[in-house]
Amino acid sequence: MSRGNLSSSSSTPSDDALIAAMRGGDERALAHLYRLHWPMVSHFVLQNSGSEDDAQDVYQEGVMVFYEKVRDGSLELSCQIKTYLYAVCRRLWLKRLTSRSRFGVRLLDDEEHGPYLNTGAEEDLLAAEEQDRRFSTMSEALNHLGEPCRSLLEGFYLLDKSMQDLTVEFGYTNADNAKNQKYKCLVRLKKLFFTHYKEEPI
Amino acid sequence: MMTEADYYDLFEAYARGELAGPARANFEARLAADPALALRYADFAELTGTLRAYGRRQNVRQQLRGIHATMLAADAPEELARPETTLTHTVNPMLRISRTERKLREFWSGHRATAGVAASVAILAVFSMLLGLEWWRAAKAQPSLYGYQVLRREMDKLKKNQQSPSRTLNQIDVAPATAVERPSKFSGTGFALTSEGYLVTSYHVIQGADSLLIEGRDRQRYHAEPVFSDVKHDLAILRITDKRFTGFGRLPYAIKSGQADLGERVFTLGFPREDMVYGEGALSARSGFEGDTAFYQVSIPVNPGNSGGPLLDERGNLIGVVSGRQNDAQSAAFATKSSYLVRLVDSLEAAKPAAPYHLPRYGQLAGTGRPHQVKKLQDYVFVVKVFE
Repeated sequence: MSRGNLSSSSSTPSDDALIAAMRGGDERALAHLYRLHWPMVSHFVLQNSGSEDDAQDVYQEGVMVFYEKVRDGSLELSCQIKTYLYAVCRRLWLKRLTSRSRFGVRLLDDEEHGPYLNTGAEEDLLAAEEQDRRFSTMSEALNHLGEPCRSLLEGFYLLDKSMQDLTVEFGYTNADNAKNQKYKCLVRLKKLFFTHYKEEPI
Repeated sequence: MMTEADYYDLFEAYARGELAGPARANFEARLAADPALALRYADFAELTGTLRAYGRRQNVRQQLRGIHATMLAADAPEELARPETTLTHTVNPMLRISRTERKLREFWSGHRATAGVAASVAILAVFSMLLGLEWWRAAKAQPSLYGYQVLRREMDKLKKNQQSPSRTLNQIDVAPATAVERPSKFSGTGFALTSEGYLVTSYHVIQGADSLLIEGRDRQRYHAEPVFSDVKHDLAILRITDKRFTGFGRLPYAIKSGQADLGERVFTLGFPREDMVYGEGALSARSGFEGDTAFYQVSIPVNPGNSGGPLLDERGNLIGVVSGRQNDAQSAAFATKSSYLVRLVDSLEAAKPAAPYHLPRYGQLAGTGRPHQVKKLQDYVFVVKVFE
């Protein structure tokens, strides 16, 4: 799917077109999606004793879950994107409210978004939570790793720099040296990551 | 022999798909053959995979934040620009919501349910309390009408006095061994009806009584029992049950069976406190509270404890029995007319009582001075103590 396809269609492209565009890595599709459904979620959160910032957090989290599933290609959407996002954000906000409040929480729902129980959002969120835990462990491990290991690994894996560039950037004498250094860092990271990640019970 | 570093190189190359055909096949064969190697590769894959995914997520998060910021930025100028194109001032100041007001609105939208519940609970509590108080008062004032106070006296204050040592000594000398020492709950006044030991008091004095004790001016105590009562006219007849009681002797007053006249000077004796109290006034109306013709209205100051006291005219004839007073009127006391008492006694006679009645026919007080009358009377007026 190309950009041309998206822009040439009507101002509100269909869900399928949007998903296809996102899968193709179109950033404008993501921005469009984000802007499209923000009022709904912000209204929902504000109505249920949340602030503007809460709404933003919840919404970005929800969009992230959706977007990652789209990029993975593992999304099985049985409803509209709107409903799916509503269900995800609703669940996320409910969780936050419950952890915040001492009392039981009841949410005021917008009628128009209909049944959100069969959207598959629940399972997706469970997977996303597991993923979250993995990422937070990784972030922890990276923090413990220290410099220059961290920058080196981030340069190679996150920013996709070549070994040659990294050799120059970090001032190693040759690429083999850099490679060796990278290997050592990776082994340390592996140790840090797996000890922490396996320690914590699911 | 391959070092650990070489393995990592190999893994890396394989994961990136950089291995050439034969080498790739070779490596895959080794993975299948060697479980330890496969495990190591899985670890490696998970680690680098997580690392990459983590990076991607950071990116997306950044991106979303950017989108949000641009979205807000795109919205804001639109709002600001609109008024500027047409007017130099905002037309409606309410369109702009100050920071405090937004906070307040957020607070309200967050807590309005709780506030509503609290408010309704408060309102409910207030009204149920008011209603409850009203009912309670109505229930308490049951024996009498609203605004009408019966004059039996609650004895809480008396307790202390009764138990003071000097009084107790006195009582032990005269009172029988069976005399009850526990304090009575209410007290009123009563007076002799016949010389055989019948007394009259107000019905509300003995209402709900377990036992009654009659105490005269000379501290002599007798047990008594209610014989007959007339709730409607607030009258009760008691009889002294003690064996050692011998009789009152000849009563000095007569009971008037007719009506007394308006403006007649009247007086009463009663026990609103420990000692006998004399009260004097005039007969101010021939009907009682709310026009009840069974009662007189008299202008004698009366107090709780006066109930059941005799009301006498100038010649010393009994014309009524003190019953109550009106709370919201100055010095308006009410007394049951003696004609109702006579009627009650007549109906008792018809019912053939165990002991015969001899109502006093002639008074002995006419023409004498008031102190003399009272002196003669005081032996026939008693405290009625009620135990519940």
